[in-house]
This record gives sequence, C-alpha cells and structure tokens, in this order.
Amino acid sequence: MFESISFFRIMKIGFVNFWRNFWLSLAATIVMTVTLVIFSTLLLVFVLTNYSIHTIQNTVDVSVYFKIGLAEDQIVKIKDDISQDPRIKEVDYVSAAQAFDSFKAAHQGDPLITESLNELTENPLPATLHIKTYNLGDYPAIAQNLESDQYKNSIDKVNFEDNRLVIDRLNKILKFIVTFGLVLVAVFVFIAILVIFNTITLTIYNRKEEVEIMRLVGATNWYIRGPFLTESVLYSIFSTIITGLLFIPVFYKVLPKVIAYVNPQVNIYANSLFHFGYLVLILFVLALLLSVVSTMFAIRKYLKI
Amino acid sequence: MIKFENVIKTYNNSRALDGINLQIHHGEFISLVGLSGAGKSTLLKLIIGEEQIDGGKILIDDIDISQVKKSDLPYLRRKIGMVFQDIKLLPKRTAFENVAFAMEVCGHHSEKIQSEVPKILDLVGLLHKRDSFPEEMSGGEKQRVAIARALSHRPVLLLADEPTGNLDEVNAGEVLDLLLKINQLGTTVILATHASDLVNKIKKRVVTIEEGKITMQQEKGRYQL
Repeated sequence: MFESISFFRIMKIGFVNFWRNFWLSLAATIVMTVTLVIFSTLLLVFVLTNYSIHTIQNTVDVSVYFKIGLAEDQIVKIKDDISQDPRIKEVDYVSAAQAFDSFKAAHQGDPLITESLNELTENPLPATLHIKTYNLGDYPAIAQNLESDQYKNSIDKVNFEDNRLVIDRLNKILKFIVTFGLVLVAVFVFIAILVIFNTITLTIYNRKEEVEIMRLVGATNWYIRGPFLTESVLYSIFSTIITGLLFIPVFYKVLPKVIAYVNPQVNIYANSLFHFGYLVLILFVLALLLSVVSTMFAIRKYLKI
Repeated sequence: MIKFENVIKTYNNSRALDGINLQIHHGEFISLVGLSGAGKSTLLKLIIGEEQIDGGKILIDDIDISQVKKSDLPYLRRKIGMVFQDIKLLPKRTAFENVAFAMEVCGHHSEKIQSEVPKILDLVGLLHKRDSFPEEMSGGEKQRVAIARALSHRPVLLLADEPTGNLDEVNAGEVLDLLLKINQLGTTVILATHASDLVNKIKKRVVTIEEGKITMQQEKGRYQL
C-alpha cells in the first residue's frame, strides 16, 4: 500500500493528533475502557457460571440398587437393556463384591468397622448401576421407568440426587446475566462508537486544511486516512492496557477467592483456555473492531478524498 | 500535451463548460482569461481530476483522465502543480516546512527533502525566509512559497488559479515574473486570471472564456472581452 517511510510518517501524524486533542482522546479512551470493563466482567461471570453448571451437572446421576443376591447375568441383562435408551450417556456397573471391597478400603483405618465386616458371612451391599444422561431433564423419566413393574423383582431401590433445582437456579441466573449483560454491552458499544465517531470527526474538522493540501499535492488516499486510523488504534491499545491492568488483580486475587467460596470443586484455572492472555486478546480485538469501524464511518462521511 | 475535446461540465443543470476544444503544447504559457464564473476554475479542476467531466474527453499526454482510477489520481496530481488565490499554506509551519510537507506526503526520503527544499526556495527567491511562518511574510512571498510547494514534485504542468487575486501590483508582478521564469525552465504553465494588465504584460497565448465557451484565442494576445 505504501512504503515504510510513509507508514512511519502516518503513524507519527496519528500520534501527534492523539496528543493535540488530548482531552478528546482521553474521553474516547475512557468510554472505550468502560465498555471493555463491562464486557470483561460479563465474560468472566458468564464463563464461571457456565463452568460451575457444567461441573455440578456432572455430579448428577441415577443410582440403581439391585436386590441382594440377584444373579449377575440378570443384572448384566438389565444393564444392556437400559443402555439401549438413546437418552442415556453411560451406565456404570458396580458389582456387590466391588462395592464391598471399596467400602472396606474406604474404612481401612476404622478398626470397629473392619472388625464388624470380618464378622459378616455374607456381603450386605447390593450391586449398583450409576446412570448418566445427556440431558438433565431426562433423569426423572428414567428413574420412573426403572421403578416400573418390569424391574420390580430385581431392583430394590432407585435413587437420584436431585440437583436439578440448583442447576435450574444457576441456569436462570446465567440466562439473566447473558440477557442483562448483552443489553448493557450493546448500550456501551453504541456509546463508544458514537464518542469515537465524534472524536474522529472533530479531528477531521481540525485538520481540514491539512487534508485539503495533502490531496492537492498528491497524497494517496491511504496516506490521508492513515493518521485517523492510527489515532483510533491508539484508543484501542490504551483502553486495552488500562482494562488489562484493572483486571490483573481481579483475575489472580479476587476470582480465586470467589470460586473457592462459591464452589470449591471447580478449578477453572486448570482449563488452559481460561488464561489472562486470551482475555486481553479478546478485549483488544473488540476494541480494535469498535474503533476502526467508527473511524471508517467518520472517514466515509466527512473526509472528502 | 493537453487536449480538450468537446468538453462539457454541468452543475445543477447549468453548463459551466460547454463544448471546450483546446490544445496546449509542452512548454507553453497560456493565460486563461474571462470574468469570474466564466468557467476558468472549472477547467483547471477538471485537469487535476477534482471534478469529473460530463461529456467529451480530456487527454493529458494521450491519457484519457476520465479513465484514470480514483486511486491513481494522486499520482496524476504529482505531475501537476497547482496554486490558488487563497494560497493554502499551513499557518503553523515555516516556509521550509510547508514545501517539505508536500514532499513528505508523497513519500520522499528525509535526506532528499533536506537537499531539495532549499533549492526550490532559492528558485522562488525565498531561501532567506526559509524559517519564516506565513504570517511573517507578505502576500507575494506567501504565494511564492505556494509555488515552491507546487514545484516540489518537479511537475510538468503548473496550474495557477488567480494567483495574484489578493495581491497588490508589486506583489502580483513578483509572482508573475516567477511564473514566467518557471515556464522558461521548461514547465508548462496555465494561468487563469482576470487581471488584464498582467495578461497584457505577458505577451503569450491568451484564451478567452465566456459563459463556458472559448470565444477567442490569440497568440501573443492581450486581454480582451
């Protein structure tokens, strides 16, 4: 598009414009920063809530307790039978012997229990199936199905920990956050676009003479537009830096505490995508998009080339 | 060098230029005369591609300028220098910087700018004013800086649109002498003016425009309407 010397000059004019209209530039940067702060808060809350829901969802299952002494081939038959259901993700079979062994292992340190277990002539623990579905909503139907007459002779008890209420509540919160957050982000995106549009328009107006002369002496269109784009890229860079600095303590100090308080099992930091660098990258891309788009609008409308 | 073939330009249904046929040769000095609003400025604007023609053809060195892409117009403009009645210097820059600005914009290297600008300022006789700001110079001096700026790309053609319009007789004379000198050095000059005494001094080709039409062409002519 242009030689390096022109590129350097364009950047220089852009920088000079940024400093000459310092207060305007500051206003544009602040509005952009506020937008980015709101956006990143929303993003973090969304990711966290979503991740928590996911973790809790994984703990839900239906447990089927078979009658004691039921033959293994019958259990396997029922297991195969259940596995046919397309709604079911996985069926985990724990035999009576396995249950007994793991119970024993879990209470190894307790002499009283170990002793009582040794007294037993027969395994008191039933064989169990742990069933997980793809959809949370399918659990009640599946539990009900297992309680039907068909299995009455083999199954002693069907149990599932109903976390659905918690999950439902979390889902509602998530939905609210997304709706409310998106509206808020949209409003601020609009404000940011307007402010940057006006700032660039004012810069164009201030430099009207210069632009006219540039055109006259044969400056290329990109040479004329370049400084305005440089200026808007500067808004994006500065607002990303400010937002990034604000979020370092949030990300590394506040957030771990919040997570530990809300749900200690969730270790979102283990997820490689949950990285501060990615957050900054997303913010910069967003900022760049906003400022370049509004600058192009201003250029199209007011910069006669 | 420049050929107008039946050129038509209309603004809001009124014809600013109506069937202009004109041929300008390399190294010529042409005075384009006529009253204000006769179409002189429009004609110059068409040459630098600032306005588009509505009919006919303008050829510059056999290139049809209506066919020149918008993105290539800047390169056309670098071949053509232009000066105006309102001079258009940047007030916060010195004479040197004003000329240098034009070269910077077109991607010349700093070393070249540093060596060329003094030469051009010397040509227009203003090397001693290189560090003066426009407000510290007379109208004639300012216009000479503007001419220096127009010359910075070593154009083959210089268009002057009422360059003496705001100047007194002495200053106007200085500017005219400079334009003649530039023409002697080989640059084609087109001077649009309605200053009759100036034109009478030049004794070169005069083209008269009235209401968008060429009404008279004289070699070594005088200002006549």
